[in-house]
Amino acid sequence: MAGNTTVLIIDDDDDFRTAVRALLESRGFTVVEAASGQEGLALLTECRPDLILLDVMMECSTEGYGVNQAIKWREEYRDFRHIPIVMVSSIQESPDQLFPMAGEVDMIRPDFYVTKPLDIPAFLATVQKALESASHHRSQPG
Amino acid sequence: MSSAPAQTVPAPSIVVIDDDPAMRLSCRKILDKSGYRVETFEDGASGLEGVERLKPDLVIVDLKMPGISGLEVISRVLEADPSAVIVVITGYATIDTAVEAMKAGAYDFLPKPFSPDELRIIVQRGLERRRLMLEARRQELERELLRRRFVTFVSHQLQTPLAAVHQYLNVLRQLEDDSEGAARRREWYERCLKRVEEMLALIRNWLTLSAIEGQCLAQQRVPVDLNSIVASVLEECRALAEPEGIRLEARPAPEGCLCLGDPVCLRVLVENLVSNAIKYNRPGGRVEVAVQPVDGELELSVSDTGLGIPKQYQPFLFDEFFRVRQPGAAGKPGAGLGLAIVKRIVAELGGRIEVSSEPGQGSTFRVRLPAAPSGVPGVASECAEHRSDPSLWPVPSREAESRSR
Repeated sequence: MAGNTTVLIIDDDDDFRTAVRALLESRGFTVVEAASGQEGLALLTECRPDLILLDVMMECSTEGYGVNQAIKWREEYRDFRHIPIVMVSSIQESPDQLFPMAGEVDMIRPDFYVTKPLDIPAFLATVQKALESASHHRSQPG
Repeated sequence: MSSAPAQTVPAPSIVVIDDDPAMRLSCRKILDKSGYRVETFEDGASGLEGVERLKPDLVIVDLKMPGISGLEVISRVLEADPSAVIVVITGYATIDTAVEAMKAGAYDFLPKPFSPDELRIIVQRGLERRRLMLEARRQELERELLRRRFVTFVSHQLQTPLAAVHQYLNVLRQLEDDSEGAARRREWYERCLKRVEEMLALIRNWLTLSAIEGQCLAQQRVPVDLNSIVASVLEECRALAEPEGIRLEARPAPEGCLCLGDPVCLRVLVENLVSNAIKYNRPGGRVEVAVQPVDGELELSVSDTGLGIPKQYQPFLFDEFFRVRQPGAAGKPGAGLGLAIVKRIVAELGGRIEVSSEPGQGSTFRVRLPAAPSGVPGVASECAEHRSDPSLWPVPSREAESRSR
């Protein structure tokens, strides 16, 4: 199922990336790592991920939001707009609490959202759902 | 804090609530002349509406009015804005009511009849009171913000490694136990240990900070031999420096040069400065720790040959959780509490600290500490005079807190 599916992990925590990489690789995914938002954006063209796992808080700033926004809205990333993004945060709150502006400003609402540490079955299910949503979108015209 | 230029600050606004037209007119005339913005209202209901709309700096209210009483006006105004300042006008016959009004939270009262000067003086005092109330509230908000920021940062700093460790263990449990698995398991255990140590260090630092804050640390003022502290810290740090090929050098002070302070604190101070100098050094670099008498004080200097600190970051260096972001510094463990601790200790011991740094060449931290008077061991009362600068304390001491109430 996961054959030839590439996941880009953007997270500044080495250990988190290492653990999730091993988990995803054990399920047959190809994994590419980026330690910062900048690095992640720069890797998009090269690795053409099918899914992005994006940390909200990097270097103590909410850089993840910026990356999410850039990919979804900036013209230079239009080729990657369809890639589903699963946002990861260590804050144990519902996305609605975390993104109070989401109703008003569409751009900051993440496609999918999971919390650290990852609950593995739930995380894998979210990854599956995200990938399915993307293939569904792509098969639609426009 | 930035303050607006004087000409754009609006004149203080005053609301007068009194059913007596003559009183309203005279108050308006007197206060107008003093340059205040004045609005008058003839009863409690319209007065309360005016207060809500105008948010005045001062409310003057007659106690005896038909309809909503002055007392009720007071309690309603204070309910909406606890920093409101209210002056009560009352006849001599109703002085008891004035006392009641004060109890209800009025700031002062003015017995009728009063002279224009009496009115002006009481208004001036009331406005000053208002200014202080607003200032106190602003400070309280600022402190609250700092406190909240502190809690958020500490939680995040603890949560991140904890989540990483949890993630490792959780994934380990899921993975097949193949031959590759054993090697991975060993490596991950090591990584977990590192993260746990990181958390322990953070908690230790945090406790040190609150110990200094709670004044349980840095209590002693005894002559201390910095040379021996430096020697033992360098010995201890050798294990940290050697893998990086960093040389540690000491230039001790002449024998008998003692400083005045708390030995435990001084050790924490030296440890923090030396471990930073190693951590932010380059491989094969050098750390030099010198102690020398200067101008009747003792100077401890710690120099490294490391990354250096860009000028724009230097002012924030001693802030809690501040970490310089530059290539080479990323990925170094630490929560950004070390130098905050150093700054507190130095202040607590009545000393001062400065840093000079050249990006790419290294940094030098110089700490000046009070010298112990030669031949007089164990006496040290003068340090109590230069107690720490309160602005260094993000969370207010109990004393400061009660003062602002």
